[in-house]
Amino acid sequence: MSEISSVEKRSRRSLGSLTSSFLRNTGPLWVFLVMFITLWILSPSFRTPTSILLIGLEAATIGIVAAGQTFVILTGGIDLSVEAMVSFSGVVAAILIAGTSIAGGQIAHGIPAWQAIVVALAAGTLIGVIQGGLITGLRMNPLIVTLGFRSMLLGISLVWTRGAGINIQKDRFLDVMTGFINVAGSKVPMPFLLALLIYGLAWFVLNQTKLGRYTYAIGGNETAARLSGIDVDRVKITIYGISGLLAAIGGVLVMGRLQSGAYQNGTNMTLISVAAVVIGGTALSGGIGGVWGTLIGVLIIRIVDAGLVYLSVPSNAKEIVIGAIIVIAVALDVWRRGEIPWLRLRRRAPEG
Amino acid sequence: MSVTQAAADDTPPPLLEARAITKRFPGVLALSEVSIMVRQGEIHALVGENGAGKSTLMKILSGVYAADSGEIIFKGQPTHFANTRQAQKAGIATIYQELNQVPQLSVTENIFLGSEIARGIALDWPAMHQQARALLARLHLDIDPRMPLHQLGVGHQQMVEVAKALHQRADLIIMDEPTSALATREIDYLFTIARQLRASGVSVIYISHHLDEIFGLCDRVTVLRDGRHIATSPVAELKIDRLIRLIVGRDLSEQLPKEQIERGREILRVEELNRGKTLRDISFSIHAGEVLGIAGLVGAGRTELARAIFGADPIDSGRIFVDGRQVSIRSPRDAIRHGIALLTEDRKQQGLFLQLPLRENITMAVLERLTPGPVTDRRKEIALTQHFIDRMAIKAPSQRQLVMNLSGGTQQKVVLGKWMATEPRVLIFDEPTRGIDVGAKVEIYKMINQLARQGIAIIMVSSELLEILGMSDRILVMWNGQVGGVLNRAEATEEKIMAYATGSDHQATPDNVSEGPPL
Repeated sequence: MSEISSVEKRSRRSLGSLTSSFLRNTGPLWVFLVMFITLWILSPSFRTPTSILLIGLEAATIGIVAAGQTFVILTGGIDLSVEAMVSFSGVVAAILIAGTSIAGGQIAHGIPAWQAIVVALAAGTLIGVIQGGLITGLRMNPLIVTLGFRSMLLGISLVWTRGAGINIQKDRFLDVMTGFINVAGSKVPMPFLLALLIYGLAWFVLNQTKLGRYTYAIGGNETAARLSGIDVDRVKITIYGISGLLAAIGGVLVMGRLQSGAYQNGTNMTLISVAAVVIGGTALSGGIGGVWGTLIGVLIIRIVDAGLVYLSVPSNAKEIVIGAIIVIAVALDVWRRGEIPWLRLRRRAPEG
Repeated sequence: MSVTQAAADDTPPPLLEARAITKRFPGVLALSEVSIMVRQGEIHALVGENGAGKSTLMKILSGVYAADSGEIIFKGQPTHFANTRQAQKAGIATIYQELNQVPQLSVTENIFLGSEIARGIALDWPAMHQQARALLARLHLDIDPRMPLHQLGVGHQQMVEVAKALHQRADLIIMDEPTSALATREIDYLFTIARQLRASGVSVIYISHHLDEIFGLCDRVTVLRDGRHIATSPVAELKIDRLIRLIVGRDLSEQLPKEQIERGREILRVEELNRGKTLRDISFSIHAGEVLGIAGLVGAGRTELARAIFGADPIDSGRIFVDGRQVSIRSPRDAIRHGIALLTEDRKQQGLFLQLPLRENITMAVLERLTPGPVTDRRKEIALTQHFIDRMAIKAPSQRQLVMNLSGGTQQKVVLGKWMATEPRVLIFDEPTRGIDVGAKVEIYKMINQLARQGIAIIMVSSELLEILGMSDRILVMWNGQVGGVLNRAEATEEKIMAYATGSDHQATPDNVSEGPPL
């Protein structure tokens, strides 16, 4: 009776899929625009170029991290280690730039920033690959593996910095990477341009390459992917590597801006990145979504964040709002797929 | 209950009457004014092809669905079940095809699931164990009720379900394909129990595809076809070919349009394939244009064989030759490269990416070929997809259409299209027609013929004997993970296949004496 079930699904989905695809494709963008305009009207201090710049700058680093998270969630996994990776890569880069001194005596000199960054990014990628290897090779749950690595990476960052944070002097390279450049007469933060570049690349990989296609396939139906001859394990390992790399890039950018590598650099970024992915319309179960939605998701979170500041909400209450947004976003994710039984959006198909 | 004995000469009174039951799912009329009457203390067979409406009718009787119209009279009272619990309370128990049990829990816990005996807030284990033991004794079962269910064989697990039905004081037990997972000995046992139930006044609705079981066990039979009531008759007044005609509604030859195709050279040869206890020393070969049917009972290792050849499950030992050259198949990827494709039984769950468009689904297994550099060749991909849309006559508004929005029949074609794109030499179909209606079945048979004509070697795993007999050039019958026997089209009969499948043919051969019957 597969005919029956599919006919039923078709009739039920025609309306549902229209609304849901409309929501998925344009919903977050409208939400962002409405929020932006509301804030623009309500708060005079928001209407300055600086505040807009700041939102772009803040969105850039978390945006890059969330792009990696998008890949992982599209395969049906999750990477809880990203915030630790942000801290870790910043610490690694900072240590390499600042050199090591013990009891005031310099025992190793710093290396140029670009070299330090290459090492930090390589380390981030490698650790991502190791996590992917454990998840696929030992069939371990990604939640646990990445949670464990989160702890380890934070621990290492804490030990290596002795809890303090390692301050660095910016050299020219780091200055350019974290500074502003002129685009058509206006100052644009370099990290924001980098983020746009990374999003463009991520879109390209997801939509034009085998890796991207396989990412969607695995998230949609891992069994079918395996049986279609896809090397599922290799794709997943690559995806966790990408997430590690992008988190490390985010980490280096944060460190460069703060001129300090500290274990707190990545605080909250895991939560925010997952929230941005979900708000952006990517299904937590995988297979559906994309990277541009995530960018909108990041901007929405940043606008809310900024809005709370400009509307003089005490910063202590910020966490409540962010948390609520995340819960609402996940509820939306479930609703979009029509899986809430008591809402009867889609009755279960008859069997047999 | 000695009602039957007392009224031995009279017709026993009706226990259940369902009148003019109609059930419509969006777009499909699943049941159209179907009536059925079950007498007290009778075993009433319900037969029909997949999609005939048997399961829908049973689900209405057991409270899973509500009928759109029609009435149900149970024990003389017009009844309406809003859910399964109400039906159970009224005295209708259902034993489903796939057992609804919790394997980790004990026998007692399974019997009392949902109706536990408690003293205050604590469960009264001694009472429950004792009652469970009594129920099992009624079925002449010597099982410790504290044993975890999964330690029992499938047959005994089913008996536990029967015990549960007795515990609920069911007057009517619906058995949905109860023998599909059982070995011969267990089937005999089930029959004994069913007759015992009948003698004690309990009625049974017995759903089965196995017509010999109908004749061996049941009193009356009701035939459904395409959601309509076709006939109800005492079994004794029917002959098997008459019953088949009632079920199928046409001649067998019309339903199975087998074509004679000249056999080409050998394409695939499997030698001494072993995988744990599920596959033992399996050897066979298949030629171009040949349809090799693989028959056997559930658990005989048919699907396991298909998966092992395809590299989906690892093998312990064995050799596979394609075109006479030994190949190493360790993953589906290897199998695809060597021209082997597998259409799994559950095509939707294991073959499709519902959330992706038609095009992505068709090209998923050949993306490598379409991606010479870093970027997939869009133009080639579109052309290839169009080719298979035309060839498979896939009805879809565009290549961008999401597969979840296509009809079931079209989805089938999409899966087949995906595998045809890999240019297979060997196509393995696992239960190609399970769960689809008669018309669509014939489509699939025609497709198989057409593929065979193109020189593709076809392996067809199937539980339906008619299908195996009708479509295969040769039949490999599996028994207990081994090759039970191989039959040519000309010599194959239902009886011979069943003999091989149940191992009754094997008892005499010396190397199998120690094996014993499967459980």
